[in-house]
Amino acid sequence: MLERIEKSSEIRHWIGDMEADHYYYSAGIAGEKFFVALRDEGKIVGAHCATCNLTYVPPRIYCERCFAELTEHKDMGKRGCVVAFTVAHYDKAGQRLDPPESFALISLGPRTTPLLHKLGEIAPEKICVGLEVEAVLKPQREGKITDILYFKPVK
Amino acid sequence: MNLKKIRKDVAVVGAGMTVFARRLQETGKEMAWEAAKMALDEAGLTLQDIDAVIMGSAPDAFDGVHKKGDWLLDGAGGTNKPYMRVFIGGGTAVFAPIAGWWHVASGMFQRVLVVCEEKMSSVQPHAQSAFGHIWDPILDRPLKPNLVWIFSMEMQRYMYKYNVRYEDIALVAVKNKRNAVGHPCAQLADPNITLEDVLNSEPMALPVRRLDISPPSDGAAAIVLVSEDVAYEHTDTPVWIDGVGWCIDTTMWTNRDLAFPKFVARAAKMAYEMAGIKDPRKEIDFAEPYDPFDYKELQHLEGLLLAEPGEAAIMTREGKTQRDGEFPVCPSGGLLGVGNPIAAALGIKIGELYWQLAGKAGPRQVKKDVRTGVAQAWGDLMQVSSVVVMRRR
Ligand SMILES: [Zn+2]
Repeated sequence: MLERIEKSSEIRHWIGDMEADHYYYSAGIAGEKFFVALRDEGKIVGAHCATCNLTYVPPRIYCERCFAELTEHKDMGKRGCVVAFTVAHYDKAGQRLDPPESFALISLGPRTTPLLHKLGEIAPEKICVGLEVEAVLKPQREGKITDILYFKPVK
Repeated sequence: MNLKKIRKDVAVVGAGMTVFARRLQETGKEMAWEAAKMALDEAGLTLQDIDAVIMGSAPDAFDGVHKKGDWLLDGAGGTNKPYMRVFIGGGTAVFAPIAGWWHVASGMFQRVLVVCEEKMSSVQPHAQSAFGHIWDPILDRPLKPNLVWIFSMEMQRYMYKYNVRYEDIALVAVKNKRNAVGHPCAQLADPNITLEDVLNSEPMALPVRRLDISPPSDGAAAIVLVSEDVAYEHTDTPVWIDGVGWCIDTTMWTNRDLAFPKFVARAAKMAYEMAGIKDPRKEIDFAEPYDPFDYKELQHLEGLLLAEPGEAAIMTREGKTQRDGEFPVCPSGGLLGVGNPIAAALGIKIGELYWQLAGKAGPRQVKKDVRTGVAQAWGDLMQVSSVVVMRRR
């Protein structure tokens, strides 16, 4: 029972896929504000819920906790601190990353939802929770999350 | 929750499970049939006796067939019966039996078959490719996330907040891979594994190393649920589902409390209330929490209110969670030891509770007398939890 065929060449099989040609993933009303501010002004903006005293980064048009409509946007600045991090040795396809890449959740203020991004200009062993970091932006921006190149430690 | 509305008590009277391994040749339907037949045989039932069928299986992307619930229908025995597929990612393993439970508890059906199947080897080049499409397409995907490094961040946050040592977390992998030695379906049993093996295994996304993770697998599992009106017609040792609970946290995973899984605690409280459990640490004898990574067993024990935050690591270090310890955890060998074909973990979680409580766990039978056990699974985008309390009467 434990002996199973391990090689695909030994069994009858067909190769196929089920993908559509491609998809349009829209940023939405709040996402549009976020990416346009990032591209045109180099700003990272969030939306604040006064009821929950919680700031969403990126912004949303509603608070998922109390369902209030969120209209108050604020410039979060570029500085934040590391909430959690990892040092990745493999990419999403299972290929080795050499050197390894560091990723982190970065919170841009108190009671602010963290943003996922890369860390740069820092050795993996120097990264810690609470580390102060700031965003490094591309000079030419397109309105994408990768307009932020990475976050680097604040000197 | 209105407990008075529950009409019938529900018992498990049979369970089946295939070998967990890379099984290129068998189709998902064939594996589902194999497990379902075993469960029916144990209950002394044929497919004709079954009133309704629940199928549990994870993303369609694993099989490359959309709406795979109806595609898998015949192997699960659902043709010409009331049938539904349920799916909450990894949480399906314990959620599919909850769906089966409400079919019977409502009084609508007397005998329900629950089948969970997963074939992860079809997707190329690796099951990880399918996970590439579960992320937010605008915020997460451009950064090319890999599931392992997301878990790694959570593990790191857990270690930071509760001052948990990596060496204690790695002991979970050692325990479970050793426990799996007694399991006839196990893929990763290793009687000789040591803590050093885990600590020195290849770094994947630090702090996570290769042996901290359960690998993809193919397999199926099934259980038969019956109403209190007919339970003793099928067995002398029915095992009762006395409490069920489930809860989901925000989809933006970055916004959750990554150290303490509040949604697990909410699901557990729901199940404990239904089961009349006031002090889970005193009233529950053993647990099968979801352990796709070693740190998840600890975090889930804490979410299940069976340990204080950070305490599960100490219990592990002190040997309390060993199979012969004072509170056995994952006596099956868990996902870390038996394997992780997502939804089919039904066999490791609910199956193990059934076999242990019915006294049928063979070499895996825990030493102490057990009357009450809890099983839990975790899934969707690492945000949902399903919990079941089972008892022998
Ligand atoms: Zn709010």
